[in-house]
Amino acid sequence: MWRVYLCFIGIVLLCLLVLGRATVIQRVQGEHWRSMGDSMHQKIVEINADRGTIFSEDGQMLSTSLPQFDIYMDFMAEGLRLKDGKVYREYIDSFAVAMADYFKDKTARQYRKEFDEAYKKGSRYYALKKKISFEDFKALREFPLVRMGKNKSGIIVEESSKRIAPFGLLANRTIGLSRAYVNSEGKIKKMNVGLEMSYDSLLNGQNGQRVVRYISGGAVPVEGFQVEPEDGKDVYTTLDVNMQDIAETALLRMLQSTHAEYGTAILMETKTGKIKAIANLGRNPNDTTYWENDNYALRVTEPGSTIKIATYLAALDKGTSKPGDLFEVGSAARMQVGPRIISDAHAMPRPVMTIEECVAHSSNIGMGKVGMKAFGKDPEEFKQYLAKYHLDKKSTIDLSGVPPPGIAPLKKDHGGLMNLITMSFGYAIRVSPMQLLTLYNAIANNGEMVSPYLVNSIRNKGVIVKQMEPRVLEEAIAKPATIKAAQKSLELVVTEGSGKKVFEGVPFQIAGKTGTAHVADGNTKYGHGVYQASFAGYFPAENPQYSCIVTIRTRAGAGMYYGGQLAAPVFREIATKVYSMYVERKTPKSYEGARDSTSYFYAGSAKAIKNVLALLDIPFVDSLASSRWATMYAKKYKPVVTGSVVRNSVMPSVKGMGLRDAIRLLEQMGLRVKVQGSGKVQGQSIAPGTSFAKGQAVTLNLA
Amino acid sequence: MAATAEIGSEEKAAKVSSWKGGLDQHARGDKVIWALVVLLTLVSLLAVYSATGSLAYKKYKGNTEVYLFKQVVFILLGFAIVYFAHRVNYTIYSKVARILFILSIPLLAYTLFFGVKMNEGSRWIRVPFINMTMQTSDLAKLALFMYLARLLSRKQQVIKSFKKGFLPVIIPIGITCLLIAPANLSTALLLGASCMMLLFIGRVSVKHLLLVAGLALVPIMMLVMAAVVRHNSGKDVDTTETTQAVKKATGGLTTRVDTWIGRVENFMYGGKEADNDEMYQVNQAKIAIAKGGFVGVGPGNSTTRDYLPQAYNDFIFAIIIEEYGLIGGAFILFIYIVFLYRCIRVFKRCPFAFGAFLALGLSFTLAIQAVANMAVTVNLFPVTGVTLPLVSMGGSSFLFTCLAIGIILSVSRNVENLERPQLAAEEVSEEVVEVEIAEKTNA
Repeated sequence: MWRVYLCFIGIVLLCLLVLGRATVIQRVQGEHWRSMGDSMHQKIVEINADRGTIFSEDGQMLSTSLPQFDIYMDFMAEGLRLKDGKVYREYIDSFAVAMADYFKDKTARQYRKEFDEAYKKGSRYYALKKKISFEDFKALREFPLVRMGKNKSGIIVEESSKRIAPFGLLANRTIGLSRAYVNSEGKIKKMNVGLEMSYDSLLNGQNGQRVVRYISGGAVPVEGFQVEPEDGKDVYTTLDVNMQDIAETALLRMLQSTHAEYGTAILMETKTGKIKAIANLGRNPNDTTYWENDNYALRVTEPGSTIKIATYLAALDKGTSKPGDLFEVGSAARMQVGPRIISDAHAMPRPVMTIEECVAHSSNIGMGKVGMKAFGKDPEEFKQYLAKYHLDKKSTIDLSGVPPPGIAPLKKDHGGLMNLITMSFGYAIRVSPMQLLTLYNAIANNGEMVSPYLVNSIRNKGVIVKQMEPRVLEEAIAKPATIKAAQKSLELVVTEGSGKKVFEGVPFQIAGKTGTAHVADGNTKYGHGVYQASFAGYFPAENPQYSCIVTIRTRAGAGMYYGGQLAAPVFREIATKVYSMYVERKTPKSYEGARDSTSYFYAGSAKAIKNVLALLDIPFVDSLASSRWATMYAKKYKPVVTGSVVRNSVMPSVKGMGLRDAIRLLEQMGLRVKVQGSGKVQGQSIAPGTSFAKGQAVTLNLA
Repeated sequence: MAATAEIGSEEKAAKVSSWKGGLDQHARGDKVIWALVVLLTLVSLLAVYSATGSLAYKKYKGNTEVYLFKQVVFILLGFAIVYFAHRVNYTIYSKVARILFILSIPLLAYTLFFGVKMNEGSRWIRVPFINMTMQTSDLAKLALFMYLARLLSRKQQVIKSFKKGFLPVIIPIGITCLLIAPANLSTALLLGASCMMLLFIGRVSVKHLLLVAGLALVPIMMLVMAAVVRHNSGKDVDTTETTQAVKKATGGLTTRVDTWIGRVENFMYGGKEADNDEMYQVNQAKIAIAKGGFVGVGPGNSTTRDYLPQAYNDFIFAIIIEEYGLIGGAFILFIYIVFLYRCIRVFKRCPFAFGAFLALGLSFTLAIQAVANMAVTVNLFPVTGVTLPLVSMGGSSFLFTCLAIGIILSVSRNVENLERPQLAAEEVSEEVVEVEIAEKTNA
């Protein structure tokens, strides 16, 4: 019996050994194995957050993400190969037919052949279809074989998202691109430009994470270990799709007809600095098409004559010149000014002109003299003025990668003086169209400089997270009188000066300045005959609503290169269209919707409106100037009284007026008034802004 | 012969007369052993149900009940086998043993050359009609033990003699082990060790046993040496390439030898090749054990089961520890020890050498198999293809285990009957009684 017990004890000892070993594995090496288990069995999977959408101001999608699907097939899938490929043989034909029927890119036989080859090769990652839309994917899901599920069909679906711009070219460069590319290390990176880049972190959102446990049926999320992705925020821009379209179309037409190198047009809301449109078109070097290939609006170049307004402002503000001061420009269009000879592009109408006329006719000689007179003794002082006009620093627009401007040294020496004089008419300084526009807008805005901006608000699922407000850069860039004088001279440019021809017949007043610059940057030299034509200004001049700059760079040896020839017509087209669509329509629209007391629109005699408001002791914003006729409308719950444009031979808007006022105004202008209905004027048979003959009949609809 | 006929008729009568008497009347033998068997099958039901999750996903779209159902069927079948086996008078097994053993030899040979390949080794044959694969070594093992019990009981007088006692006993062991070895070395070694133990208990000369052990050690040492040499010489890439070439070229035995060397190497040097299948299994088993803690993660909560390829079979002990903790594992060990202890009691009380050796041999081999399986799980032994008796998911080994337990219970039942004097006379033929009592006293 002892033998039996010996064996029994042996077994018991072995059992204890097993138990001991298990204890060691658990207690001593436990951590090691457990962590190894976790790392083998679990994986953290990123859940992609949806990238936010970029909207226009009125809520149109400018750039958004759509899901797209890459479909692969694993021909080694167990289900597919089961029983010597029974499933494969049974369904592959109908699958091929379904593919051919739906996608129509190959015949069923071709599909079948490719499948057979892949099946024979045992391809585990056969690319079936790439980048298909959700609709196609939905259809594909119902195909024979595929609908049997992933295990049986071996179908592999990879989802990604594709960035699309529903409006295509419109403001493409400014809205930006968000494109994935593979860098040198083989990692997928994103290349962004424009708003996509500036607001990348906001648009991107925060990817979520999910812990999944692998089991043979696939991966199963582990409960409680999931961080939900935070989808990207939406960016609501200040851009207006229609205005953008107007600007882009006008610019494109001019570029195409003149085969220019590139062009940019920016439209800004005067009071706020909102960028309503920004078009950047560059010529494709290989053909004659144009594409939004760079943000030319931010590119710094020598601006040419558009800078003269800065010289003018500085000289007047310093007090060395007064409006009406005379300067001798000669009749040879060539004159020694201080240390250098300056030439004008053409002979001036008079050898001696007022300072305003120097601006209006864009005399380099005249402005050179103005500059020298003001700052000849201390060129450095001019820099302070340039700083006040924010021409020495990057534009504050909410885009990243804005290039810095450049100013030639202004020292108290010969070189400094040379630079000063040169700078007075727009060379030896590099600024971007955006900076110039900001300056012109400040003049339009009565001296208050606001920062240009592109983003109105950041919204998260429709809820505003961040609301951008207009930002004032300078309360007053110059004394009010100086601003007034500048406004006058800019109007003079259009009425008398270099812009006279182009803007003839525009039914509202435009103020602005032409500019033509020889271009010397990069490989281009002054001698190459490349010009940069521009026009910067605002409209309507009496009550500026929008500022705009158009800059076009010609190709070498182009026949047309003056700002007045190239840029001003684009400006004109933009201004007239925007004026008729927005400045004019703004008013009746708000009147029609005037059901509540927060929104109203009245028109009538300026004096009468003022009297009524004064009697009722209602505070109001007075933008009347000296107009006899006025409109009153609500702006931020405050009545604003604005003068109406009433000029001879141009039909005024009488919408919102009472019948008495309307008849008085129109009959004074020589119209015969017919009336329908009663109440306030709702419609007029002659559209505002159009011309009319004396004695013509106009029908007013009252409601 | 007449006596057996009588027993048969009596059994029939008993069946007809008193079904109402319940199991007590019909299921005789050691009650504790019965209870342990029920307990183990219940454990197997729980563990298999939990562990087949991933298999169910692969084959039945996650319908895990399929395996639960299968296991239930196996258990019912197993109980039927236990029941019928234990109703048979064990003396019949003495006669059957010889036939079975002689039958098992050509069967093993057939398996070796024409068997179904599963997990590399050719260990299985497909049984006609019921279309189930069967591991012939399971049958051979049972046959060998029964035959050994018979031989040992008959040769007790001459057991110390080399020619008359030792040789006749060792030769069948040798034949069976050598036939199993090529396909399933671990089973062969385990079987050999169990046989040695049985011979030791059966009073075979220790000198002779040492001789056999020495002989068996030679190939084992060679394997170890080969593993050492291969580990030191070859970078993995080369070896795997060459081995694969060898596998393709020669197939058969060479491949198996290669697998053995690989296993020994892995066991000795640990998992440098982490992607190696067996290292993977062992590591997963360790992960399961480590995750289990003292009381386990609870039934059905195992996570390792999805990664452990043989979670429901060879490595079920790891899943048991993961779900029921060290306590659960210890409990399973305890069950086997109690089972062995109860079988030793049967051995002690059995007056006849054949019955005693039968019960002892079968119980020891089951216990050894159980301990071997668990030792593999905790990485005390290199990976073998040994199941955990009664707990691993069904299959032929489950049914053969049931048969073995049935036979043990048959002995136990006869012992109980012997202890009830009025039945004793009827049950056993006098001739046999005399001979066996004499043998027993010698032992």
